Amino acid sequence: MATAEVNWREEILTKLQKRNKIQTHCFQDLIAQHNKIFDNVNALKHENLQLSIQNEKLRVDGDRPAGGGGDSRLHEKIQILEQKLLSQQEELTELHRRKGENSQQIIDLNAKLQEKEKFLMARDISLAENAAKIASLQAEIALFDRNNKELNLLNEALRDEHQALHLAFTCLEDKMRKLQDENRQLLDRLMKYKTKDADRMNEENENFLNDGSKQLVRSTFGRFRKRFAKMQKEIEEACRDTRGVSPEDLQEGYGPVCQSTIPTKASVKFDAHDGEVNAVKWSPVDRLVATGGADRKVKLWEISKGACESKGMLVGSNAGVMAVDFDASGTMILGASNDYASRVWTVADQRLRVSFFVVMFESIGFVSNAAHHS
Amino acid sequence: MANDREILREVWEGKLPISFQLDPDEVVELQQPDPFYLMVPRLSYFPLVTDKVRKHFLRYVANDKQDREMWLEYDGQPMKWHYPIGVLYDLLITSDDQLPWNITVHFDKFPENQIYKFSNKETVESYFMACLKEADVLKHRGQIASNMQKKDHNQLWLGLQNDKFDQFWAVNRKLMEVSQEQEHFKYIPFKCYLDDGYRQKLIKPVDEDGRRKTLQDLINEMFPGKNVVIKTHGMIPPLETPLQWMSEHLSYPDNFLHLCVQT
Repeated sequence: MATAEVNWREEILTKLQKRNKIQTHCFQDLIAQHNKIFDNVNALKHENLQLSIQNEKLRVDGDRPAGGGGDSRLHEKIQILEQKLLSQQEELTELHRRKGENSQQIIDLNAKLQEKEKFLMARDISLAENAAKIASLQAEIALFDRNNKELNLLNEALRDEHQALHLAFTCLEDKMRKLQDENRQLLDRLMKYKTKDADRMNEENENFLNDGSKQLVRSTFGRFRKRFAKMQKEIEEACRDTRGVSPEDLQEGYGPVCQSTIPTKASVKFDAHDGEVNAVKWSPVDRLVATGGADRKVKLWEISKGACESKGMLVGSNAGVMAVDFDASGTMILGASNDYASRVWTVADQRLRVSFFVVMFESIGFVSNAAHHS
Repeated sequence: MANDREILREVWEGKLPISFQLDPDEVVELQQPDPFYLMVPRLSYFPLVTDKVRKHFLRYVANDKQDREMWLEYDGQPMKWHYPIGVLYDLLITSDDQLPWNITVHFDKFPENQIYKFSNKETVESYFMACLKEADVLKHRGQIASNMQKKDHNQLWLGLQNDKFDQFWAVNRKLMEVSQEQEHFKYIPFKCYLDDGYRQKLIKPVDEDGRRKTLQDLINEMFPGKNVVIKTHGMIPPLETPLQWMSEHLSYPDNFLHLCVQT
């Protein structure tokens, strides 16, 4: 039994061993070797691939593949250096360019600077001119100041003078007023004397009327005589004063020869004024007569064929009118009164035109009619 | 008792040289790929050893087919990946002259109606563990395998996957032990391979008299009146070999006896 068991077991073991020997051991090493080689091949393939990739990369990297191994390194170095050189050259050119730009900039700036300096100089010049102008203007100002001061002084002096004159003027005015008062007093006194005279004459007239026609003739005569005497006196005066007679007058036959034409008969008689008639004058152009009387009026009369007609009354005088006169054209009348004033009226509208004072006068008249009208 | 390490060792170390070749119709590169040689353990399964093969051939096929499942073909027949490699060899190869074993690799036209799909190694693992538990049910009413811890299962699987004899047998030994009250397994787990598949039957290791059954008894029970030759592990075991001993020593890692029947 035991040997039988051993037999089948041994047989199985042998068969298994034989199997393994044929199927396994024959191939184990071979396959292992193959696998090893296979792996190696794969690894080498991979490596090869990587190397070729690297090679390609290097080929791309380096422009020209180097000849030898040592050479390649040298070549690489040279290339690197060349690259460096190239970059340096680029940098250099860049720097040159920048330098050129900078110098250009400097030139520009210099030009600008010069311009500015010129400008500055011009400014300086103008400044100096202005300073000179200022100085001259200041001198002028000083001059004007001085002038002003002088003028002020002058003005002061003139004012003083004016004041003094004013004082003198007021003084004189006072004096004048005093004199006017005196004059009025004198005038009053004169009037008084005149009224006294008139009273006496009225008395005489009454006496004469009472005495009869004889008396009338006598009085008329007396009156004529008185008037005659006065006339004579006037004539004498006129004769003495040859100045008043121009040579033309003499040539035309006026003069003493005319004495023979003394009016003897009154063609018109009228009462011109209240009181005395102090002045009478013919108009040089019309048949007008101007009379001035003690009633302080100047009256105009038109005389025609034995009748007289009042043409107007010129008022304005403060005292009796002592003289009247026409101008050469007969448009204006000059009247002198006892209030030391003379006045001018126009004939046409009988208005007072001018009034002026003359301190003392004997008679009046238009100085030169021709001159006045020219 | 499973203590004949010499036999176990010889069985474990059985390896086959295989030459993998890509189907020339599927090559898209200009260069034909080299065949890929590999020593594969007889006890292992193809999905566990073909990672390198797949990697090697992947770059020779069209891009859109690279993600597809790789499958193997020999002599016009797709390989059943859920058979151990040794079983496939014993079934398909009759003479050792054909070594190394030429196998064609395919990526395209997966024959879904002939072989199962396996998406990853977990599929193989779950199939393997299912076989293991089935065998244990036959041997010990499933008590040992179900009492094992998860890490023992893992150790079994990793031992097989990494071709680690000691790691595997440290756990597998428990599965091969007999219970104390009985000196033998309840039934012998085995698969008899014919041309069109495999047959199974409940066969006890001893007969009613307590006599130990041999391989001859098994053949008689399975194929009565026929003259057949049983082949396993690349050899023809003697007919007088006891079934209990065969189950303990000549079982594949899934604890089944895989018997190729040659008429």
